[in-house]
Amino acid sequence: MADKKIKVHVENLKKSFGKLEVLKDISMDIQEGEVVVLLGPSGSGKSTFLRCLNQLETATAGTIVVDGADVTDKHTDINKVRENIGMVFQHFNLFPHKTVLGNIMLAPVELKKMTKEQATETGMSLLKRVGMETKADTYPSQISGGQKQRVAIARALAMNPDIMLFDEPTSALDPEMVGEVLAVMKKLAADGMTMVVVTHEIGFAREVADRIVFMDAGYIVEQGTPEEVIDHPKEERTIDFLNKVL
Amino acid sequence: MLVIIEKYSSMLLGALGKTILLTLLSLIFAMVVGMIFALMNVGKNRFFNCIGTIYVDAVRGVPLIVLAYFIFFGVPQGIKSLGFQDFRLTALQAGTIALAMNCGAYMAEIIRAGIESVDKGQMEASRSLGLSYGKSMRKVVLPQAIRTMIPSIINQFIITLKDTSILSVIGFPELTNIGKTISGNTFKSLQTWAIVGVMYMVVIITLSRIAKRIERRMNRGR
Repeated sequence: MADKKIKVHVENLKKSFGKLEVLKDISMDIQEGEVVVLLGPSGSGKSTFLRCLNQLETATAGTIVVDGADVTDKHTDINKVRENIGMVFQHFNLFPHKTVLGNIMLAPVELKKMTKEQATETGMSLLKRVGMETKADTYPSQISGGQKQRVAIARALAMNPDIMLFDEPTSALDPEMVGEVLAVMKKLAADGMTMVVVTHEIGFAREVADRIVFMDAGYIVEQGTPEEVIDHPKEERTIDFLNKVL
Repeated sequence: MLVIIEKYSSMLLGALGKTILLTLLSLIFAMVVGMIFALMNVGKNRFFNCIGTIYVDAVRGVPLIVLAYFIFFGVPQGIKSLGFQDFRLTALQAGTIALAMNCGAYMAEIIRAGIESVDKGQMEASRSLGLSYGKSMRKVVLPQAIRTMIPSIINQFIITLKDTSILSVIGFPELTNIGKTISGNTFKSLQTWAIVGVMYMVVIITLSRIAKRIERRMNRGR
């Protein structure tokens, strides 16, 4: 891995909401093509950490460099950086007033990255990639949760990002729909996408992750390969957490 | 009754036209004013929040009739005292300003509530794709907010139409003002005001019917 580029560099990141300190000094490097899964109890700061990476939450202190751009610097054009970071949300957040294809086309067309024709073509091939090409002209309200999340993944891929962030992508799904979304994510990982995933799916983490980061109370408690962290955890809090979820 | 209709119909219809003209002008400006102050209020900038709140509170805290007097009589006097001797405001200009300010304050609240009714995740999803705040507002949040706003906006339109009658006090020849003239000339108050009332009613009922239809059509798209 030594020859690989560092995609995300986080140094001494802190984030507080009012008096509540959610992230207390997080440092981490993520390499190109790496799949990092963040595990930890709710309230541990995983989602906040993820949302800091594309500055949906502004960091209170510390530095975050994504692809060479310091996103914590006020002079950085954050919109430009975000084009390169796709994000998938727990509650899908599809645009209800747009069709499935319209959802995917919005950003490339509005940001003048593609013409309408190009965006349609790209949109359709992305929908094919997530197995949703037959639903291109339906509205989000007419499809199931698993389908919505697959469309949301396609939408996040529309700007052809280098990095994908997943914020509990399967937590709002009925159990029988979790598999189809995880399958799309596995394919993405296999294609070499750099991914940061917050999830409670231990099986997925074990299978797909290059690195597991276990967080608790705003700190990184322990990190390593799935084998190290899931099968042979060293820290008591990790052991405790895994006992509860496995 | 027939005598009045026969003799004054063109006057009444002309006055109704003036009423509708004043309503439409005010509404157009009120939409702009409302949008500006709503956006000030939903943003994160404290300074703009403050201006927005002051505007809405001030205008809603003053009766329309007082606002109309202030703009028609007070403002020109103030400007004249600054040395602009030729400054004048017609009743239509003053009336439009007063109504637009008043309606704009209510509109600002309607639009603000509409924007806030849209799930926060929508803005986040749009921003995460690289769209700016303004673009996200225009392309993602506002199109959804408008659906929830439509019934309230139409309600506000109707209120504004009725409020034009208040501007008879500054001498604008709209329907109520002409009604006063006719009842004064003929001494037939009962008939005159019944006719004027029915004229308002017909316009407003027509308007709300159209509004219902638009609302239904917009909901079908969901």
